[in-house]
Amino acid sequence: MQSNAALEYDYSVAKLFTYTTILFGFLGMLIGTLIAAQLAFPELNYLLGEYGTFSRLRPVHTNTVIFGFTVSGVFATFYYVGQRVLKVSMAESKFLMFIGKLHFWLYFIGALLATISLLLGYSQSKEYAQYEWPIDVVIVVIWVLWGVSVFGLIGIRREKALYISIWYYIATFLGIAMLYLFNNMAVPTYFVSGGLGNIMHSVSMYSGTNDALVQWWYGHNAVAFGFTVPIVAMIYYFLPKESGQAIYSYKLSLLSFWGLMFIYLWAGSHHLLWSTVPDWMQTMGSVFSVVLILPSWGSAINMLLTMKGEWNQLTENPLIKFMVLASTFYMLSTLEGPIQAIKSVNAIAHFTDWIPGHVHDGVLGWVVFMIMAGLFHMAPRMFKREIYSKKLLEAQFWLQTTAVVLYFTSMWIAGITQGMMWRAVDEYGNLMYSFIDTVTVLHPYYAIRALSGVLYLVGFLMFAYNMYKTMTSSRELSEEPQFRSPMA
Amino acid sequence: MFHWLEKNPFFFAVGVFLVIAFAGLIEILPNFAEASRPVVGLKPYTVLELAGKEVYKKDACIACHSQLIRPFKAETDRYGQYSLSGEYAYDRPFLWGSKRTGPDLHRIGNYRTTDWHENHMWDPKSVVPESIMPAYKHQFTNIADLETAYAEAVTVKKVFNTPYDTPNGVKLGTWDEAKAAALDEAKKITADMKNQNVKDAVAAGNIPEIVALIAYLNRLK
Amino acid sequence: MNALMIKGLLFAAVLIAATIYVVKSMNIDLSDPINIITIIGAIAIAGLTVGVAIKYINQMKTDTSGGKLADENWDGIGEYLNELPSGWAYSWLGTAIWAMWYMISGYPVNAFSQIGQYNEEVKAYNTKFEAVHKNADTATLQQMGESIFLVQCAPCHGTTGDGLSGKAHDFTTRMSKAQVLDVIEKGSNQLGYPMGAMPPMMATGQDAEDIAAYVAGGMKGEQPAAFAACASCHGADGKGMNGMAANIADYDEALITNVVKNGKKGALGTMPAFHDRMTPVQIKALATYIKTLKG
Ligand code: HEC
Ligand code: HEC
Ligand code: HEC
Ligand code: HEM
Ligand code: HEM
Ligand SMILES: [Ca+2]
Ligand SMILES: [Ca+2]
Ligand SMILES: [Cu+2]
Repeated sequence: MQSNAALEYDYSVAKLFTYTTILFGFLGMLIGTLIAAQLAFPELNYLLGEYGTFSRLRPVHTNTVIFGFTVSGVFATFYYVGQRVLKVSMAESKFLMFIGKLHFWLYFIGALLATISLLLGYSQSKEYAQYEWPIDVVIVVIWVLWGVSVFGLIGIRREKALYISIWYYIATFLGIAMLYLFNNMAVPTYFVSGGLGNIMHSVSMYSGTNDALVQWWYGHNAVAFGFTVPIVAMIYYFLPKESGQAIYSYKLSLLSFWGLMFIYLWAGSHHLLWSTVPDWMQTMGSVFSVVLILPSWGSAINMLLTMKGEWNQLTENPLIKFMVLASTFYMLSTLEGPIQAIKSVNAIAHFTDWIPGHVHDGVLGWVVFMIMAGLFHMAPRMFKREIYSKKLLEAQFWLQTTAVVLYFTSMWIAGITQGMMWRAVDEYGNLMYSFIDTVTVLHPYYAIRALSGVLYLVGFLMFAYNMYKTMTSSRELSEEPQFRSPMA
Repeated sequence: MFHWLEKNPFFFAVGVFLVIAFAGLIEILPNFAEASRPVVGLKPYTVLELAGKEVYKKDACIACHSQLIRPFKAETDRYGQYSLSGEYAYDRPFLWGSKRTGPDLHRIGNYRTTDWHENHMWDPKSVVPESIMPAYKHQFTNIADLETAYAEAVTVKKVFNTPYDTPNGVKLGTWDEAKAAALDEAKKITADMKNQNVKDAVAAGNIPEIVALIAYLNRLK
Repeated sequence: MNALMIKGLLFAAVLIAATIYVVKSMNIDLSDPINIITIIGAIAIAGLTVGVAIKYINQMKTDTSGGKLADENWDGIGEYLNELPSGWAYSWLGTAIWAMWYMISGYPVNAFSQIGQYNEEVKAYNTKFEAVHKNADTATLQQMGESIFLVQCAPCHGTTGDGLSGKAHDFTTRMSKAQVLDVIEKGSNQLGYPMGAMPPMMATGQDAEDIAAYVAGGMKGEQPAAFAACASCHGADGKGMNGMAANIADYDEALITNVVKNGKKGALGTMPAFHDRMTPVQIKALATYIKTLKG
């Protein structure tokens, strides 16, 4: 086969995952906004009976945005980027096409069942691993199918050397595979007890402190390999591709990648500071978290430097704006996290709203921005139409940026205040504040956060609408744009 | 070397795997040898308490409540003695939580009581007027799943050697015995409760979720 | 410095200022080292992120890209072979050195113990407040008692001590008629007075009613004759004969101490025992405060 001939890439699977990214993104953030409002206005807990309390919905929010929205986005971009940087079309292999479609449909059905199971209250109560064992099994199968796609495409590639994005996709696959398996190990009680009780129920393989260690070895790195590694894969493709600029430094890419891989896994115990895990492990968690700043910032800086001299692109192209701001929020959360991992700071930050604040810097400012920018870049190529509206895109950008800033400033202040109030003693050395005092003081911040949720959600709807119009009715393109995405 | 790896995906993947597996081996595995020993006197959960723990998981109280008292004066003043590793030996899963929208509950059994929980779970604002905790009225009508709790106890006994049926320990016995024991335990709790429907249900042999939950909360000491 | 830089740093400064303002307005002691380190950390987060990001964004305005390109090219994406940015490389070195310090000296991996640190914290606390507590006068005790009450007791007794419509004991009066009747009927043996147990059924029928009404009414007016049955232990004035039995006319230190230490189960519900969670000074403070609630 002629290696230089223009390839007709097959985007059917990428398109399918694009739809679910939008769908789950909307649902997840709708619930996010609802639970944010519930903390400010508790009456909202009673809209859906026992299925509508904050506590029942919170895991639905986290799981829908992680395993629904983010993971869909990872799959969608992989099925797009993978073909292009490996220079091979899925249409060339019937087998891979079949696996890709199977991957999607199993994923979609699995996601629906998983959400229903959480609403019904089936939960292992381990954060980000709540799904009970039958759902876990389905997830493992889905993940294996994705692995077959990744390594299958790599196997038939024409581009000898792997592009940086592929390094990160491979790492995503391996990291999550290892962590998910270990952390979800559980014994189904139905079988051991000889058919008693609920078949969905299981007990964790590990207990107490050990369970905590495994959970946060997983939990921290689920964040790492779900919210960081694959998103870095995206920015390494979409930013240079959209801007037409070459990556600033191979060396920086290389050191950042291997540094990140090595250091990330040590940092999990920063979720267990001052707990009952051994002191030395906690110290390791703190230390590695701080060192982690550099490999994290390495990628962000590499991206910002890639745009050196391209100020006009930044002002004219909203997609570039999204990606540059995403890098900046990535820097913010990967500096904030390490500082929260310092033991003295964690004594205050842990258990407070400063943590969800940190979380949402990362997810709203970095993960969602990058995924939306990626899908916007892909749309004109996949649907052969220009992006429906640049104006809408600009408006969305400013609306959502405002929302992120409101979210993180309100939770930052709320968290620090609450953390310090819990510790405060009066002049006689007795606790100064009752617990409920530390709750009522948060009301205005909770209200601001709820408002930010509404703004962000409206922004996401603008994105969905723009994408829908792009797919269906904007101007058709006669040939594929090389770099900058055309928009009306 | 790295450039060579980039051209050889198999070895690249192996390399990545080794690098990421390393930390787990060093940091986590060694602890398994020590950290699961129970403190002296710790008893496994009774079937009713396990059913209550299931309610705690189902309604995801962990979304707002921690069960981990850190060794700071401000925390031991508020919640009591700091937590010890051995106290969690029978906790599968651990329920430390990561967010305190509400207070820590690791020793709640020391300073709250059945009747208080009854009022509070029915309507938190009735005892703490500014509370933002949801009311859990459905726990007063939903019936706790004792059979699954019993299955869990049997499982941890068989698979993890959790010491049930030991002298002076928690007796498990057969399913019928366990059910009877749980009912006795439930009756002691409802004696301190006011809700007539709950009392009637227990008298008729069905244990509402709230009773199991309170058994669990009272046990947290 | 250009406009972007100024705007960015201004934002960071406003954020920090707002945080410190809110924290200060809650009377937080900013000399507590933990609080101080947290504030410094927060400043570092906002300042460094904004500063560094804007430095690079500025370069988009002022610099031009360039360098030697690698041979490879993926889907039109090239790659320069530029050297590492030196600031980045040196910072990495810097964090590595900090890490060494943290492991060897800050929280030495072989020696640091969080429980040891806790014990020292408690010791330091005790020395700091010993003096205040030793010489506490009534006014001090009352203030101290109020703050303890609000933290530890208010979830059941309400912030005003009114017992939240009968959910717990109401401190704005001494006892309700129903409570007294309940004790008369059932007796009581849980508070740990020297006199030990109070037997049940010391009075019945109308006698009990009269006694209860009298006690609940604050022991004013004419004493019912049947009260003699009670006076043998509680004294004719109901004050408990100097701590031998419960004071049923008023709140006193003996009552609060006994209830807080042992808990109490009564007509209203159960009051948990606080065992050793309160120091003698704290209990005394609570007693002083609770006495004032009756008005
Ligand atoms: C939306 C957050 C939220 C959820 C969900 C929640 N709580 Fe709470 N909880 C609170 C807050 C806030 C307080 C403090 C105010 C109060 O006492 O109501 C509290 C207090 C408590 C207390 C009293 C603790 C103390 O020291 O006074 C208990 C016990 C409790 N909750 C149990 C539960 C249980 C059991 C569940 C789940 C079925 C649950 N909570 C779900 C927020 C929550
Ligand atoms: C034999 C001595 C004795 C006699 C007689 C006696 N009491 Fe008592 N009473 C006690 C003791 C001792 C306590 C504390 C009980 C405990 O430790 O629980 C007590 C407790 C009480 C209390 C509860 C106080 C509180 O704040 O919880 C009330 C009310 C009370 N008595 C009323 C009466 C009345 C009314 C009578 C007469 C009908 C009476 N007592 C007769 C010894 C006595
Ligand atoms: C979990 C709820 C709860 C908490 C917390 C609580 N109480 Fe109580 N308390 C009660 C209830 C219920 C009663 C009423 C018992 C009865 O007589 O039925 C009571 C009764 C009392 C009484 C007895 C009054 C009498 O004359 O018999 C005193 C004194 C008291 N509480 C003091 C305190 C103090 C001081 C604190 C805080 C350190 C406190 N309580 C915390 C629930 C509580
Ligand atoms: C409209 C936007 C969103 C709003 C209003 C929102 C709101 C919330 C709220 C209120 C919580 C609970 C915080 C608490 O318990 O105090 C939460 C938790 C969380 N959300 Fe969101 N969210 C949004 C979008 C997202 C997105 C897009 C993601 C991921 C891609 C995400 C990931 C998470 C995670 C991981 C948590 C758990 C944090 C923790 O346990 O510390 N959220 N969110
Ligand atoms: C250098 C990188 C990072 C470090 C060292 C770090 C560190 C931390 C720390 C210390 C906590 C708080 C633990 C606690 O006290 O409860 C935390 C929580 C969290 N972080 Fe990060 N963080 C980093 C980057 C990120 C990024 C980029 C994201 C997302 C895009 C993210 C998402 C989260 C989430 C979801 C949690 C909440 C976990 C929970 O449920 O408790 N982190 N992180
Ligand atoms: Ca699971
Ligand atoms: Ca969490
Ligand atoms: Cu982490």
